Amino acid sequence: MTDSFTANLPVYVIIAPLFVAIVLPTFARLKRLVQGLVLLVGVLGVAGTGYLAYMVLSKEGFPMIYSMGGWPAPWGIELVVGNLGAFFLLVVSGVSLPVALFSRDNLTVEVGGKERVARFYVFYLLLVGALSGMALTHDLFNVYVLVEVATLSCCALVSSRKHPRAAEAAFNYLILATLGSALVMGGIGFIYMITGHLNMGFASQEINRIWQHNPHVVWLAFSFMLVGFGVKSALFPLHIWLPDAHSTAPSPASAILSGLAVKGYMICLLKVLYNVFGHSLMQEFAVHRIMVLAGTIAILAGSISAMTQDDLKRRLAFSTVAQVGYIILGFGIVNTKGLAGTLFYLASHAVIKSLLFLSAGSIIAVTGKKKVSELAGIGRKMPITMATFTIASLSLIGIPLFSGFIGKWHLLVGSMEAGNFLPTAVIIIGSVLCAAYLLPVIRVAYFESAPQEDWKDPGFSQKLALIVLAAATVILGVVPGPFLELATRAATDLLMR
Amino acid sequence: MLYLILALFSGVIGGLVVTLIPRTRNQLRNFIVILFAVSSAIFSWKVAFLVFSGESVRIAGSFGGLGWSIDPDPLGAVFGLIASTLWVFTAIYSFGYMAQKHNQNTYYTFFLVSLSMTLGVAFSGNLVALYLFYELLTFATYPLVIHERSSEAVQAGSKYILYSLSGAGAILIGIVLTYMFAGRLDFADGPILAGSMRPGLGWLLLLFFAGFGVKAAIMPLHRWLPKAMVAPTPVSALLHAVAVVYSGVYGIVRVVYSVFGHELTAQLSVNSILLWIVAFSILAGIIIAMRQDVLKRRLAYQTISHLSYILLGALTLQPWGLAGAIMHMISYSMLKITLFFCAGIISEQTGQTRVSKMSGVGWAMPGTMAVFSGATLGMIGMLPLNAFWGKYYLMKGSVAGGKWPLALVLIGSGILNAVCFIPVIVNTFQGERSALKAKQGGSVALMLVPTGFLVIAALVVGLLPGIVWPGVEAVVNWFF
Repeated sequence: MTDSFTANLPVYVIIAPLFVAIVLPTFARLKRLVQGLVLLVGVLGVAGTGYLAYMVLSKEGFPMIYSMGGWPAPWGIELVVGNLGAFFLLVVSGVSLPVALFSRDNLTVEVGGKERVARFYVFYLLLVGALSGMALTHDLFNVYVLVEVATLSCCALVSSRKHPRAAEAAFNYLILATLGSALVMGGIGFIYMITGHLNMGFASQEINRIWQHNPHVVWLAFSFMLVGFGVKSALFPLHIWLPDAHSTAPSPASAILSGLAVKGYMICLLKVLYNVFGHSLMQEFAVHRIMVLAGTIAILAGSISAMTQDDLKRRLAFSTVAQVGYIILGFGIVNTKGLAGTLFYLASHAVIKSLLFLSAGSIIAVTGKKKVSELAGIGRKMPITMATFTIASLSLIGIPLFSGFIGKWHLLVGSMEAGNFLPTAVIIIGSVLCAAYLLPVIRVAYFESAPQEDWKDPGFSQKLALIVLAAATVILGVVPGPFLELATRAATDLLMR
Repeated sequence: MLYLILALFSGVIGGLVVTLIPRTRNQLRNFIVILFAVSSAIFSWKVAFLVFSGESVRIAGSFGGLGWSIDPDPLGAVFGLIASTLWVFTAIYSFGYMAQKHNQNTYYTFFLVSLSMTLGVAFSGNLVALYLFYELLTFATYPLVIHERSSEAVQAGSKYILYSLSGAGAILIGIVLTYMFAGRLDFADGPILAGSMRPGLGWLLLLFFAGFGVKAAIMPLHRWLPKAMVAPTPVSALLHAVAVVYSGVYGIVRVVYSVFGHELTAQLSVNSILLWIVAFSILAGIIIAMRQDVLKRRLAYQTISHLSYILLGALTLQPWGLAGAIMHMISYSMLKITLFFCAGIISEQTGQTRVSKMSGVGWAMPGTMAVFSGATLGMIGMLPLNAFWGKYYLMKGSVAGGKWPLALVLIGSGILNAVCFIPVIVNTFQGERSALKAKQGGSVALMLVPTGFLVIAALVVGLLPGIVWPGVEAVVNWFF
C-alpha cells in the first residue's frame, strides 16, 4: 500500500489540484468549504512535495521515472522526479500555500461575491496543477499542454476583478501569450521534425547525433523556443503585457503570477535548453551568450522603468521584469555554480515577489492608496505588513542574511568562473538599481508622518501568510543547506547531458 | 566570547528597548541610551584587552556554505575602542543637542544600532562578516542622515545609499574573486592571498580600494560626504567624521594587510598609484575646504583630507607608516569630533552656520571657541596635542619607504590646515559681540562637557603618547 502510494505520489501531486479545480464549481456557494478544500490541497501539496524532495535528497531509487498509464517511453508520457523537479515542486507548493492562506479573507474585498471567489480558486488550482506538471514532465508535447493550461488560467486570474482595465489587460495578455504558445508549438514541431521524438531524453540523444545535418532547423527551434518562452516569462522587450496584467490583477493573483507562473515557463525553457538541446549544443550555437545579453538588457531596462513608476504594484511588476532578467542571464552561465545560483535565485524571487505583492495588496486593501507617494506613515499604522515588505526588499536587494544574497553570491561565483565579467557587473548594478526603486517605498512608509486615519494590519490569516513568507526568505538566507544542495544537484544533472 | 557578544549586541538590544519607550519619557530613554552605550564600551574594552594580551576571542558559523567569523585582532580592537568610546561622548552630547528636536526615539534607536554595526565591522574575522556589517551599517545610518526629513536631507540620503551600495557591490565582486583565488576568506591565518602572485591582482586591489574608498571618501568618490552634513551635528561628528568613514578606511587597511599582505602589495605596481591618489585627496580635500563658507562643509572636506592621511600611512607598507596611520586614527577621531561638536554648539546657540557670519561669536562663547582653537591646533599638528605624533610617524614611514615627497605633502597639508582654520578662529573674535539666541536649543552644559573633555584627552595623549602606544605597537607587531 505505502509503496504503491509513494510510487504514484508524483501523479497525485499534479492531479490533486486539477481534480479539485474541476469539482469546485459544484459547491461554489459554500464559501467555507471551498476555502477549506483549497487550503487542504495546499497543505497536502506541501506534504507530498516535501516527502518527494526528502526522498530525492536521500537518494532512495531516484530519479524516479514514472510512465503515465504504464506506457513506457518513447510511446508514453514520462514524469521524472529528479532534483530539478523536486526543487521546483517545493517552490510551487511552498509559495502557493501562503498565497491561498492570504486570499482567504482578501479575495472577498478584491474580487467580490461567492461565485467569483470560487471561480478564482478554480483557475488558481488549475494554475498550480499545471505548474506542478511543468516541474515533473519529461515530454515536449506535455510541456505545451501544461503551458496552455497555465496561460489560460493566468488570463482568467487577471480578469477576475470586475474592472474594465483588468479585462483589457487580460485581453492583451491573451493575445501575446497565444502568440508565445504558437512559437513554442513551432519550436516543438521543429524538434520533432528532425528527431522524431517528443520524449526529452530520446529527442536529446537524437538531436545531438544529427544536428550537423540540419543546423538551420536547430537554429530555428532554438529561436522559436527562446522567443516563445520569452514572451511568456516576460523577457524584456517581450514584457509589455506584464505590467498591466500583474498590476490590475487581485493581489493574490499578482503574487502567484509574478512569483510562480513566470517561473514555470522559465523552468520549461531551462528543460528545453539543457535537457533537450544540451549545453554543448547551446554553446555551439552561442545561445548562452544571447541569454546573458538578453538578461542584461532586461535587468537594466526593467529596473530603470521600475524607478519611474509611482503606482506601487506597477513598480513591483517592472521589478519582476528585471528579476526575470537575472534568471535568464543565469541560464546563460553554463557551470554548476552559476546554474545552482540561478535556481536558488528563482526560488528566492518566487518567495520574495509573492511576499511583496501580498503586502502591497494588503496595504491597498486597507488604505485604498495605490501610489508610493501616498504611503506616508504606513509603517507605523501597519507594522507587520510593512516589516515583511522591508524584509522582502532587503532580500531582493541582496543583503546578507536574506535568501537573495545566497542566490546572488552563487550567481557571481558562477559568472566569474565562466570568465565573463559582463554578468558580474550587471548583477551588482542591478542590485543598486533595485535599492533605488524599493528603498523609497520604505522611506516614505516609515519616515514620513502618518495621516490621522484608523488603519490596521489585516486579519490573522493574512498576517500569518505574510509572516510565513518573510520567515521563509530569512531561513533560506541563513540556513539554505538542503535547498541549496537540491539546487546544486539539479544544476549538476542539467550539465550532465 | 561572552564579552564579545555583549559588546556587539548592546547597541542592537538598546535600540530595540528604545523603540518600546513612550515618546514622552525623555529621561528614561536617555538613561537607557547611555546605559547601553556605556555597556558596549566597557565590553569593547574588555575584548580589546583580551586581544592585546594575545588571547583569541572568536565566534564563527556559516550560512549557505559561506563561513563567517567574528574574531577581532589588534587592528579591529583599536577601531572598536575608538568607536565605542566616542559613542558614549556623542550620546551625552546628543542629549543636549537633540533636546527639543523631533523624532528623538527614531534617532536614538538607529544611533545605537549603528554602534553595533560599527563594532561588527571592527571585530569581523573574515570578509563575509565584514561585508555583512558594512552593508548593514549603511542601512542603519540612513535614517540618521535623513533625520531632518527635508527634501535636501532625502536627496542626501539617497546619494549616500547609492554611493555606499555601489561601493559594497565592488567589494562583493572583490570578495568573490578573492574566494576563487584563495578558497578561504579568514583573516586569522595570515594574509589570504599571500604568495599567490598572478596577473589581475592589481585590479583586484583597485576594486577593493574603490569599493571601500566610497565610505572612506577618497576623491573622487567623496561627493556624498559633504551632502550628508544635513544630518544633525552629532551624526555628522560621529558617523561622518569617524565611525562610518572609518569603516571604509578600516576596510582598505584590512585589504592591504590581511587580504594581500604588505609583501604582496609591495610587489604590485598599482600600490604607488594608490599612494598618489591618496596624496591627491589629502591636498585637494583641504584646498576645497578653504573655499567652503558653511562651517560643517568645511569640516567635511577636512575630513576627506585627514582620512587619506591614515590611508597614506597604511599604503607606505612600512612599520612606521602603519604606526602613524593607527596613531592618526586615534588622535584625529578625538579632535574631529571636538571640532564638529563646537560647530554644533555655535549653530545651536547663535543660529549661524556660515563662517562669514560668525564674527563676534568668539566673544559671546569664549569657552567653545577655546576648545575649537585647541582642536584646530591639534589638526595642524602642533606639538602638545596628539595628532603631532601620528604625523611624525607618518613622515618617518614615508621616508623609510623611500617616498620622501609624501612627507612634503604632509607638511604642506599641515600648513594648509592652518590657512584654512586659523582665519575661522580669528574671524569669530572680530567685530561686535554677537547676540545669542534668546530661546536656546538644548542644554549647553551637556554639549560643552564632552567636548571639553575630549580636547583635554587629546592634550594628555599628546603629552604622554605612551598611553596609546601599546595598542599601536600591537597592531604593527601583528602585521609585520
